[in-house]
Amino acid sequence: MSEHSKTDVRVRIGPVEFKNPVFLASGICGYGEEYSPLMDIQKLGGIVTKTITPRPRKGNPPPRIHEIPTGALNSIGLENVGLDAYVAEKLPKLAKEKIDVIVSVAAEHIEEFDSIAETFAPLDGYKGVELNLSCPNVEEKALDHGRNPAFVEKLTRVVKNRLVDKAVLVKITPNVTDIGSVARAAEAGGADGISAINTVLGVDFDLATGKPVFFRGSGGYSGPGILPIALQKVWEVSRAVSIPIMGIGGISSVDDARKFFVAGASAVQIGTSLWQDLELPQRIVSEFEQHPEWMKKGEVKT
Amino acid sequence: MIGNTHVTVPGSVPPGRFSSKLLEKRDLSDRYYLLVMSRPPAFDDPGPGTFVHLLVPDGGRFFLRRPFSILGCDEATISLLIVEKGTGTQILRRIPEGTELDFIGPLGSSFPQMPGRTVLAVGGGVGLAPLYFYGTRAVRDDCDRYRLLYGARTRDDLFLDSFEWSVEGIAFATDDGSYGFSGNVVELADEELTRAPADVVFSCGPTPMLEALVELARSRGVPHCVSLENRMACGVGACRSCVVPVSIDGAESYRTVCKDGPVFDAEIIVWNELPRV
Repeated sequence: MSEHSKTDVRVRIGPVEFKNPVFLASGICGYGEEYSPLMDIQKLGGIVTKTITPRPRKGNPPPRIHEIPTGALNSIGLENVGLDAYVAEKLPKLAKEKIDVIVSVAAEHIEEFDSIAETFAPLDGYKGVELNLSCPNVEEKALDHGRNPAFVEKLTRVVKNRLVDKAVLVKITPNVTDIGSVARAAEAGGADGISAINTVLGVDFDLATGKPVFFRGSGGYSGPGILPIALQKVWEVSRAVSIPIMGIGGISSVDDARKFFVAGASAVQIGTSLWQDLELPQRIVSEFEQHPEWMKKGEVKT
Repeated sequence: MIGNTHVTVPGSVPPGRFSSKLLEKRDLSDRYYLLVMSRPPAFDDPGPGTFVHLLVPDGGRFFLRRPFSILGCDEATISLLIVEKGTGTQILRRIPEGTELDFIGPLGSSFPQMPGRTVLAVGGGVGLAPLYFYGTRAVRDDCDRYRLLYGARTRDDLFLDSFEWSVEGIAFATDDGSYGFSGNVVELADEELTRAPADVVFSCGPTPMLEALVELARSRGVPHCVSLENRMACGVGACRSCVVPVSIDGAESYRTVCKDGPVFDAEIIVWNELPRV
């Protein structure tokens, strides 16, 4: 990365090059269209669209969001339009708007992941996929799978075999004892990159009822409060693998984004803070264009 | 029961992102206050029912923006009616005039135009805002006749002395009987519909009030447009946080209050599964 010219902030993830290292995280930006009146998404490295599953999902009953001073808990439950509608309606719109897309996908079984990858293999209009093995808000086994290195390796290999010329990222959960072993498994399976982290398992209680605020009990915690957790996990992952890492979790300033590079990331994704600060992603791009040296991975001494 | 009748609601328009100055802040009562901010030239003409998603200017301590229905909008200003309900609305009440406010809008669907028709609008508490806004515009052919019923706890919450009520055909109800009709605004609506039928009912307010109105409108066979609220994050339909359960042709799904709503055909809402905000 030392050959960067002054404004060259391109980043390579596997076989794919992105124009800069700033992305919108999955779940935050829907299918892109919702935010296009409010910001120039085309100028970002790309967006990771809302996770899609083989069939449409209704999602969890409301309430789905709970504000806390350092961010929010959510319990959306992977509501999405499903694979077919995504391919037929959402992807063409994104391509027309020249938005660089990473498709986030989730499924229960390896066969389903394989079938999704088979569907995407001949398609244009996207640059990569992110395997969501870490949503805390669903009943299915996907979460446990995401904690099982053998499964992660096998699954990643199946998908990567179908999508040779695309970037295949594996999004992993912080809710494990040894995040490095899951990341290593993804790398062994042929992943082009690791996205870390997904939301942190959290809960809050309504004192009037003595019950959790969400019907499902726990939810996913995101926002500025999880920054140190995310940095810790990315730092651990960076010592476990040599593939690029997308750092995600609690970024609410340019400096927060820089810290992920120090921790060993090659790119960042902006999530919850977009709700407050619609200019944040573009501000990070602009400042990194002025300081491409910030993209150099840090050598953190302990 | 006469039956369920449907009504079509105008959809949302692409919003903008703005910063504008707080021009005036006025206490209307113990709990209610008015914010008037300058209208940015590019701010689209808002339909009655649409809202702005406002960042509480407190250095990011309040994580989520707050949605507020538009009470009024002219060439120079946008007005919001706010009830002090939690810490966010407490802080907003304390910010000085001249503060720059960061907001997105106009967001969401609006109450439909009803040319040649008679509308009975029923507002409870802060739910007054979009219905008042409609009433101030109704003279412009939005409908033939617009009657607005406003219910509040006490006379103090009618802010009769601190607000220039500039809408015709308004009647008040207070729970404690301190002004106007004594009792629930839904009881007043029942009397009004008996006195003079309406072609459509509009409503906005606390959920129990809306549920009672659903029953009333159904029993009279009158279509009913309702504005809902919910805890909200993005405001633009992306995050799917603020959903409400709907049933359309027997198929159940969720719709977002921020983009599909806040104004809905009351007949599609699955009322017994609605979150209590």
